Amino acid sequence: MVTTDLSNALIKADSLCVSIKNKSILKNLSFHVDTGEIYALLGGNGAGKSTTLKTLLGFNTPSSGSVTIEGKEVNQALNFVRGKTAYLPESATLYSHLTARENVNYFLSLADIKKTDDEINQAFDRVALQADARDRHMQTYSKGMRQKTAIALAILREAPIFLLDEPTSGLDPVAIDEFNQLVRELASTGATILMVTHDVYGACQVANRIGLLRDGELVGEFAAAENSRIDTEQVHAAFAQRGTA
Amino acid sequence: MSQNNLSKIIIVAKDEWRYWLRSKLAISVMAIGLLLTLSSVIVTSINMMELSHARHELQEDAEETFVEQPDRHPHRMVHYGHYAFRTPAPLSILDPGIDAYTGNSIFLEGHRQNSAMFADQKQGTALTQLGSLTPAFIVQTLAPLLLILIGYSSVSRERESQTLTYLLSQGTSGNTLILGKGLALLSVIGLILAPLAVAALISLHDGESITAVLAFILGYGLYLSVWALLVLLFSSALSKNSESFTALAFVWILLCVVMPRVASTTAATSVPAAGKLETDFAVIAELRKLGDGHNAADPAFDKLKAELLEKYNVDSIDQLPVNYRGIIASAAEAELTHVLNEFAEQRMQTELSQIHVSRQFGWLSPMVAIRSLSMLVVGTSIETHHRFLREAEALRFEFVQALNKVHVEKLSYQDDMNRNKDAAATQKARVSAENWQVLEDFNFEVDKAKQRMQRSLAAFLQLLLWIVLLVVAIRTIGKRLI
Repeated sequence: MVTTDLSNALIKADSLCVSIKNKSILKNLSFHVDTGEIYALLGGNGAGKSTTLKTLLGFNTPSSGSVTIEGKEVNQALNFVRGKTAYLPESATLYSHLTARENVNYFLSLADIKKTDDEINQAFDRVALQADARDRHMQTYSKGMRQKTAIALAILREAPIFLLDEPTSGLDPVAIDEFNQLVRELASTGATILMVTHDVYGACQVANRIGLLRDGELVGEFAAAENSRIDTEQVHAAFAQRGTA
Repeated sequence: MSQNNLSKIIIVAKDEWRYWLRSKLAISVMAIGLLLTLSSVIVTSINMMELSHARHELQEDAEETFVEQPDRHPHRMVHYGHYAFRTPAPLSILDPGIDAYTGNSIFLEGHRQNSAMFADQKQGTALTQLGSLTPAFIVQTLAPLLLILIGYSSVSRERESQTLTYLLSQGTSGNTLILGKGLALLSVIGLILAPLAVAALISLHDGESITAVLAFILGYGLYLSVWALLVLLFSSALSKNSESFTALAFVWILLCVVMPRVASTTAATSVPAAGKLETDFAVIAELRKLGDGHNAADPAFDKLKAELLEKYNVDSIDQLPVNYRGIIASAAEAELTHVLNEFAEQRMQTELSQIHVSRQFGWLSPMVAIRSLSMLVVGTSIETHHRFLREAEALRFEFVQALNKVHVEKLSYQDDMNRNKDAAATQKARVSAENWQVLEDFNFEVDKAKQRMQRSLAAFLQLLLWIVLLVVAIRTIGKRLI
């Protein structure tokens, strides 16, 4: 297990409890994500992964405990938090009646951000979205291409925090590799990334740390050794151990 | 509202339009709506203008024909009769209101109060029933359906495709999103109302008041805004497009089809009105108590006879300096008119009470509210029709009594009594055609705009209440939108 040093924490959940329709979803959940870190919250269906992300975005109100981003309580600084975060839902659904460029322009204009065509093309280049696809309606896009567009948008918004919901589900192996590479590249430029996933192997390949979520509780946390990724076997073992306890 | 927020609302509205322009369904629905309104405005305007022109001409013809009658016995002219035509209100090109059902002209004759006739709805063949697709009907009934078809998925679509969470997570508030969608729907309302507004403005040339024109446009703007808000409310509150569409279709049926009928049924039940046959029998029974104006010897006039003999200090009616038969005709007409007017007033009061009950349903259905508002502002409501009946009746009584006066003063009792003896006597019992100049010009004008506004105030308040309640509901949902 890792030791907790909260001095550098950009995202912090402290004894977080969330109930939805009188059902307790998150129970005393505590974790933190440091600046430039990739943190994967790993868990099965119904573990509370998406609820955690939505609580970080201020869509759920904690029944107790706290959740902060850059030290600010999420529900008391919604605009600040949403300005700092780039959220990618499980199916990165942008508008299918628009092209990738139109989607990006639309969301940027709503965020009151002005970018030139060159800057937008640079962002598309960075996420490796094919040039001939950028002015095509998104209804023809694969999930991977949609994710790339969404990440390009996040880059253009200059959001320092990425919240990714099951980012690799439904992607083919090549697309997963491309995505992981992109996530690492983002982290290397200082972006802080919290991803929730049920993909153990994917999480181990990309994350610096992994938190194990079961029934709304954090049941384990693992850190990667320097310059290496997390040991998949170790995660499996921890999950299994906890499950039989 | 900050400048920044306003620009975001406009951005959302523009995107909604972009979505509609790229969606064949939305474009088709808008095109159909625009075409229907436009064609209906043109067809109804031409129809009503022709009708107005025709009624004006017919009124002049009727007056000319009457005064051009040859020398006759004055009582024959009483039965020859005359017509009163109601020229349509300038704005009735958009909402003929009850005119289409009540009729627009009355045959005026002695001893009778005829009903209005030539109602468009009774004249039409099956083919011409298409003529009832008036602009008012289209905007009141079909435009809400068009708004539903265009907007039912405006917010639920975002939720269903998860773009809603994405939008909100990027700092766009739920209320901004809903306001943007609402602004887009308002612009559609502007499109639907444009032909109506242009036609309403054209009616200014026919003497309509600017207040009435603006109130008419405002009323329909408020009504369609209620529907835009209903569409937004259901689209925001329900999670699926199918749920939103089904709920809105149900609401349309309830508010546009069921409630107006419930309103009229409740009105008819709570304020029962006697049937025509029942009323006719009651009228006949009352009239039988009066004397027969054609029979100078009727004992019912004995008192009058005695008074006259005393007044003129003579022993018999043939010594009177005036025609006794004419006096009896005049007195009988006055008594008969009094009775008929009492029944007519009773009937009109019942109709008014019923309509007042029916109008209260505007608090429950915006369709009922706009229907009342539209007819009241245009001047095609029951109140205006009643005034037409009263004015036509006043005209009838005036000309019949004017002819009775001619009978009294211009024809001697002896000549009158001997009129059927031979051809020469018949000729002698005629009075000069110069005496037919008894008709006052009948020019029925729509009520003053101020009076129409006062009458329609409640309907305006009903629509405003709907808007306030819906805005509160939408704002509440907008804060919790996810």
